[in-house]
Amino acid sequence: MSGNEVFELESGTGWSRGLSNMLSSGLARWFKTKTWWIQSLIWGGMVAIIVSTLVFSHREPAPLLDLLMVSFIFTGLFPAVGVIIIMQDAIVGEKREGTASWVLSKPLTRQAFVLSKVIANSVGILVNMIIVPCCLAFIIISIAHKTTLFSLGFFGAMGVIFISHFFFLSLTLMLGTFFNNRGPVIGIPLAILFLQQYMLGFLPNLRYVLPWNLVVPLGNTNPLVLSLIIGTPVQSDHLILLLVITLESILFLLIGLWRFNQEEF
Amino acid sequence: MSQTQPYVIETHNLSKAYKNIRALNALDLKVRQNSIFGFLGPNGAGKTTTIKLMLGLTRPTAGTATIFGMDSVTHSVDIRSRIGYLPQEPHFYEYMTARQTLRFTAEFFFKGPKQAITERVDEMLELVDLQEKADRPIKTFSGGERQRLGIAQAQVNYPDLLILDEPAASLDPLGRRDVLEVMSKLRKYATIFYSTHILDDVQRVSDTVVILNKGGLVAEGPIEELLAGSEGVIYIIHLRGEVDAALEKVKTLAWVSGIKTSLHGEESIWQVSVTDPQAAETQLLKLLVNGPVVVSEFRRKQYELEDVFMQVIEGGQDVRK
Repeated sequence: MSGNEVFELESGTGWSRGLSNMLSSGLARWFKTKTWWIQSLIWGGMVAIIVSTLVFSHREPAPLLDLLMVSFIFTGLFPAVGVIIIMQDAIVGEKREGTASWVLSKPLTRQAFVLSKVIANSVGILVNMIIVPCCLAFIIISIAHKTTLFSLGFFGAMGVIFISHFFFLSLTLMLGTFFNNRGPVIGIPLAILFLQQYMLGFLPNLRYVLPWNLVVPLGNTNPLVLSLIIGTPVQSDHLILLLVITLESILFLLIGLWRFNQEEF
Repeated sequence: MSQTQPYVIETHNLSKAYKNIRALNALDLKVRQNSIFGFLGPNGAGKTTTIKLMLGLTRPTAGTATIFGMDSVTHSVDIRSRIGYLPQEPHFYEYMTARQTLRFTAEFFFKGPKQAITERVDEMLELVDLQEKADRPIKTFSGGERQRLGIAQAQVNYPDLLILDEPAASLDPLGRRDVLEVMSKLRKYATIFYSTHILDDVQRVSDTVVILNKGGLVAEGPIEELLAGSEGVIYIIHLRGEVDAALEKVKTLAWVSGIKTSLHGEESIWQVSVTDPQAAETQLLKLLVNGPVVVSEFRRKQYELEDVFMQVIEGGQDVRK
């Protein structure tokens, strides 16, 4: 139609058509609304209060390893609840509210739609639910124990926590492409999150397919994040677990992409 | 409208079934460039399904839909880059403002320049009279305001084809009038395909109409032809005087295919069916006024779209021109 000569037209033809626009909008939703500080406040505030209590409520701060362990539980385990709630809204919420069919009536591929949700939410979760709480916890612990914990291992530990959260992110996203109501999309990942400790009791081999031991101790086995922080050698079991969780997450994403491509609006 | 103009939309045997429910059954449609194409039908007739199939939001169980010569399944994104679409119930991201929504929509089509996008967004806000509410989050918008925003976002990309699903729904009479004006203005640049329940609107702006019922096409044609009725061309004549002699004379005319007569007081009312409207137009009245009768009314029978709609929906008649 005449009138659009002054514009530089979007002309991509591949799977990524519309991705940058959706991604900008997804990131803006995290960082240009109240979301970023609310999430930072919830998760950062929670870990800061718990760690501060353990540090400052006694004459001597709690032992370093205990403080680190508590920090990892509150940055690596509980925020997964937030990840699940945020991600169920990303697909099911948009399907139910009709916004998915609206944006998909524009030149946007379904792959770009799904990937924009994955990338924007991964960045939001990494910054507000991992980096901010971890930094707060580690600053408090470093002050209390007069030591610096900000090493390569610190960044590695945050990476592992991210992979653990990404497992729930991709699982929830995949379920969102199969179901149209929120119950199973929230319920299944939450059940896995909270029941994995019991499941590991019955079936110990599940330790290779569930992310529990990435961030939480399993019996006498320290979590991978602790090994990275304190600089002890990483066990091969942990490397296998890390690899399997990464592959599972990729598989969930691929299944989600395939299923969303079949979706009818 | 020139017959050489290409078709913007062509569907062939287009069908859609959901489990065992047939939502659309072997639809054949041809929509010419720069036409305003009214798509009518009762609830559940398959209108929205057809639109969703054209947009690639759902896949046909049989048949094809071709838009701008491209298949709606394999070239869906290319097709959508030339379309503006207003859904039946527009849903937008509630946290965005109207201005952000329009910019977000525009950026699916345009990379820049930013200033031109900003100007286009302002132009659209003005078109739908939302300038004052442009920076309010959409969650505070009423149904009518959402509808206006929907109309604006559908046009922001200068579409070649505008698909509007119930564009006048949730609008007050002034809003409805504005939408119809916008549609009339856009015809120069775009083809408009729209579904509606408001038959009066269709009659006012459409040049071609299709009526769907239970997933099938039951009436199709240029609006004037549909309004001329399915019974052929009929002239209504009110007259008094020596009507019997006049009646015998009219019956002998070669292009008169039938006459129904009735009495209303002293007046006789004829419904004369003709096969040659031009001959009837020029000769029939002349013949009568030269005879021993007084003609008080002479007109071609016109149908309201509502009559045609009721005929085909309730009477199950197939009216294809």
